[in-house]
Amino acid sequence: MQLLMLVVIVFLFAFPFIRPPLFFLTLLFSVFMYVGLTESWNLMGGYTGYVSLGHVTFFAIGAYTTALFLNRFGISPFATAILGGVFAAMVAALVGYPVLRLKGAYFTISTLLLAVVMQLIFMNWEFVGSSTGLWFKLLPVTMETNRLIFYEVMLALATLITLLVRWVEKSKLGAGLIAIREDEDVAKTIGINAPWLKVQAFILGAFFAGIVGGVYGYYMSYIHPDITFNINTSLLILLMAFFGGCKTWAGPLLGAVILSLANQLIVTFIGAEISRILYGLLLIIVIIFMPNGVIEYIKVPQILRKERTP
Amino acid sequence: MSLSYILETIISGILFGGIYALLSAGFSLTWGTMKVLNISHAVFAVLGSYIAYWFFVKGGIDPILSLPLLALILFFVGGIVYRLVIRPVTKAKDVVMASMVATFGVAIVVENVMSYFWRPDPRILKPPYTGTSFFIGEMAISKGPLIGFILAILAIALLYLFLSHTYTGKGVQATWQNPIGAALVGINPERVSLITFGLSIASAGVAGVAMAFVYAFYPSVQTVWTLFVFLVTIVGGVGNILGAAFAGLTVGFIIGVSAAFLPFVWVNVLLFALLLFILLFKPEGLFGT
Amino acid sequence: MLEGTGVTKKFGGLVAVSNFDFSVEQGQIVGLIGPNGSGKTTLFNVITGFYPADGGRIVFKGREITRDKPYQIAKLGIARTFQIVRPLLSLSVLDNVAIAVLYGRENMSSMAKGRMRALEILKFVGLESKKNILAHQLVAAERKRLELARALAIKPEFLLLDETFSGLSDMEIQEAIKLIYRIRDDLGITIFLIEHVMKAVMGTCEKIMVIHYGVKLAEGKPEEVSKNPSVIQAYLGKRHA
Repeated sequence: MQLLMLVVIVFLFAFPFIRPPLFFLTLLFSVFMYVGLTESWNLMGGYTGYVSLGHVTFFAIGAYTTALFLNRFGISPFATAILGGVFAAMVAALVGYPVLRLKGAYFTISTLLLAVVMQLIFMNWEFVGSSTGLWFKLLPVTMETNRLIFYEVMLALATLITLLVRWVEKSKLGAGLIAIREDEDVAKTIGINAPWLKVQAFILGAFFAGIVGGVYGYYMSYIHPDITFNINTSLLILLMAFFGGCKTWAGPLLGAVILSLANQLIVTFIGAEISRILYGLLLIIVIIFMPNGVIEYIKVPQILRKERTP
Repeated sequence: MSLSYILETIISGILFGGIYALLSAGFSLTWGTMKVLNISHAVFAVLGSYIAYWFFVKGGIDPILSLPLLALILFFVGGIVYRLVIRPVTKAKDVVMASMVATFGVAIVVENVMSYFWRPDPRILKPPYTGTSFFIGEMAISKGPLIGFILAILAIALLYLFLSHTYTGKGVQATWQNPIGAALVGINPERVSLITFGLSIASAGVAGVAMAFVYAFYPSVQTVWTLFVFLVTIVGGVGNILGAAFAGLTVGFIIGVSAAFLPFVWVNVLLFALLLFILLFKPEGLFGT
Repeated sequence: MLEGTGVTKKFGGLVAVSNFDFSVEQGQIVGLIGPNGSGKTTLFNVITGFYPADGGRIVFKGREITRDKPYQIAKLGIARTFQIVRPLLSLSVLDNVAIAVLYGRENMSSMAKGRMRALEILKFVGLESKKNILAHQLVAAERKRLELARALAIKPEFLLLDETFSGLSDMEIQEAIKLIYRIRDDLGITIFLIEHVMKAVMGTCEKIMVIHYGVKLAEGKPEEVSKNPSVIQAYLGKRHA
C-alpha cells in the first residue's frame, strides 16, 4: 500500500512535465490545497472531536500575511508563507485557549462566529485593504511556468502536511487527542492535560492552514474578505473530512480528493451556487446516513490495517 | 457629541435589540426544548425578508399585511425542514452536534438557492411609512426601526402567550418538560416537535421582515445575523423566551452605546468577546434560571 | 496516605458531602458504603478534582491536592474507576490501556513501548486474549476488567474503585476479590472502594466508613459497623435497628 502511494506521488510530481492542458494543473492545485486544509483541520475535528467551523480563518490569515509582506517589503510569499502559518497559529493560540474550554457545541459555534467576525474586521480594516482587497504582483514568468510552480509547491505542501498529520495520529499526542475525543473525563483521569493537548492540535492545524493560505493567495494574485474568509470553504473542509471519514488520516485525503475534484468540475461547468447547494445537501446526507464517512465502506487491505495494532 | 446624539444611538440600539430578540426567540426555543442547534435559523429570517420584499415590490402588498401569510409559509417551510432534516438528526447520539452540522448544510443550501434565484445584490424594504422620523426634542427616531421594534415585541408576546395560554402551546411546554408524562396523557410528541420547529421558523420569518425595515439584506447576511442570534440566545439563557427578550434589549443597548463611541468594526469584536466571556463564565446566561 | 478533613461539597442548596473526614493508610483496603445518593461518588469526584470542594482539605502523601486538576492528581499517583464503566469505545482493548501507560506515571513516549507494557497489564487482569478486540465489543464483566486495567496502567499508588462489583455473578465476585488482593499485595497499591455488594465489602475491607446524606455515620471494622444501630437504621429503617 505504501509503495502504491509513493508511486502515485512521484507520478504527480512528474505530471506537469508531460505538458498536460493547464486546466488539469489548476484542477489538481485545488485538490492539493484542500487535502492540506482538510488534513490540518482533522487534527481538531477528527482526532480530538472538536468540530471547527472556522478553519478558513487561519487559511485567510496566511493569505493576507504573504500579501502584506510582498506588498510592503517585497519578500516572496514562498518565503513568507511559513510566517503566514505563524500568524495563524498566534491567532489560534489567542482565541484557542478560552474557546477550547467550552463544550463541543459551544466550541463549534465560537469558531463559526470567529470566522464571521474576522471577515467583518478585515472588511473594515484599512491596513489590509478593507473592501478593496489586496493584489499580489505576478511572478514574471509564463502562465505555464506559473502554474507549474504553484502545482509543485502545493503538492509538496499537501504531501508534507498529510505525512505530518499521519505521524501525529500514531504518536503519543495523537493517542492523547483520540482519548479526549472518546471520553474527555476519562482522558483526564489517566493523566492527560486536556486543555494543553487541545491547544496544541488547534495551533498546529492553524499553522498548516496558514501556510496553505499563504501560497494560495499568491496563486490567486487577488484576495478579498468575501472570497478569502468565505464560510463556504469551511463547509467544504468539514464535508470532505466527514465524507471521507475523520477518524484516520486516510479519510480526509480521500474526501478531499473526491470532493474537490467534483467541486472544481461543477463550479467550472455549472456554477458556484449550484455547487454549494449540492454540497450543503451532501453534508446533510452524510451526517444523517454515514457519519463515519466513506472510508468505513472501503475494505482496507490487511497491510494497512497492520499499522494500527501490532 | 451632544447628549441627544448619545440618546439617539442608545434608543436606536434598544429598538434594534427588540428586533434581535424576536430573531433569537425561535432559535432559543428549539435549542432549549428539542436540543436542536439550528444554525439555519437566521437564513430563514432572510428568506422572510425576501418574501415580504417580493410581496411588496411585485404585488404591492404592504409588508405588515402580508405577515400572516408569510408566517404561514414559513411555518410550512419549517415543517418540511423538520421532516427531512431535523427528525432524522434527533436520532443521533449527540443531537446538538449533529443538528448543528446538518443545519449548517441547510443554511448553505437555502442561502445559495436565494442567491441563485434572486442574486446577491442588497435589497431594502422601504414602505412609505418607514421613510420619516419622529422627533422628540432634538432626537430623531427613525420610523423604520420603531415599527420593526413594535412588530417584534408584538410577535414575541404572541409567541409567549401561545406557549403559556393556549391548549396547543401548553402541550408543547408539557412535552419538553416531561416527555413521557405528556405522551401518557395523549399528547403526540411528533406533532409537538413539528409545531415547535414550525413556529420557530415562522418567527424567524417575521423577524426577517422587521430586520428588513432596518437593514439592507442579501443572502449572505445570514452569517452576520447568526452572530446576533447566538449572542442574544446565550445572554438570555437557552430555551428562555422572556430571557431572549430582555437579552435582546440589553444587547441592543450595548450595541447602541458602543456604536456611538467605537468604529463599527469594533462593535462586532466587542460582541464576540462578550459572547466568549459569557460562554466561559456564565453559560446559563444573564437572565437564565 | 490519603486524608481528607472537613470535606464539603454543595450543589446549589443541596449539601452532597458535609464536613467529611477520612483517612486511608498505605497498604490498606478501605470501604465506603452508604445508601444510594448518600454522596459516595461525589466524594470521589471531589478527591479526583472533578468537582471543586466547597470546604475542607485533601492531602495525599503529605501534599495538599484539594485544588489540583484531575490530570495532576492522576500524575501524583491516584487512579480511579467509574461507577458506570467508560471504556474508550472505538479503540482496541490494548490501546485503551496503552494510552494510559503513555500518559500515566510511566510517562513513556512511544506507542509501541506503551503497547508492550499494556500487554503485561492485560495479562494481570486476565484480558490479554481480547487485546485486539474493540472496546465496544466487550461484555460487561470484561469492560470492568478493562476499566481496572486502565486505572492500573497509570502506575498508581492509590486506587479509587467505584462500585466495581455491581452486576457481577457470585463467581465473578470471588475472582474480583482475589484480583483486589493481588493489586494490593503484588502491586503495592492502596485501595479505597465504594461498594453496595456487602459480600465484597466484608471480603476485602479492613476498615469501613459509612456515609449517609453526606455525613459520616460510622467507621470501624466491618463486623462492628454491620452491627451499628444507626447504620442499620440508615439502610433499613428504624424498625430493624
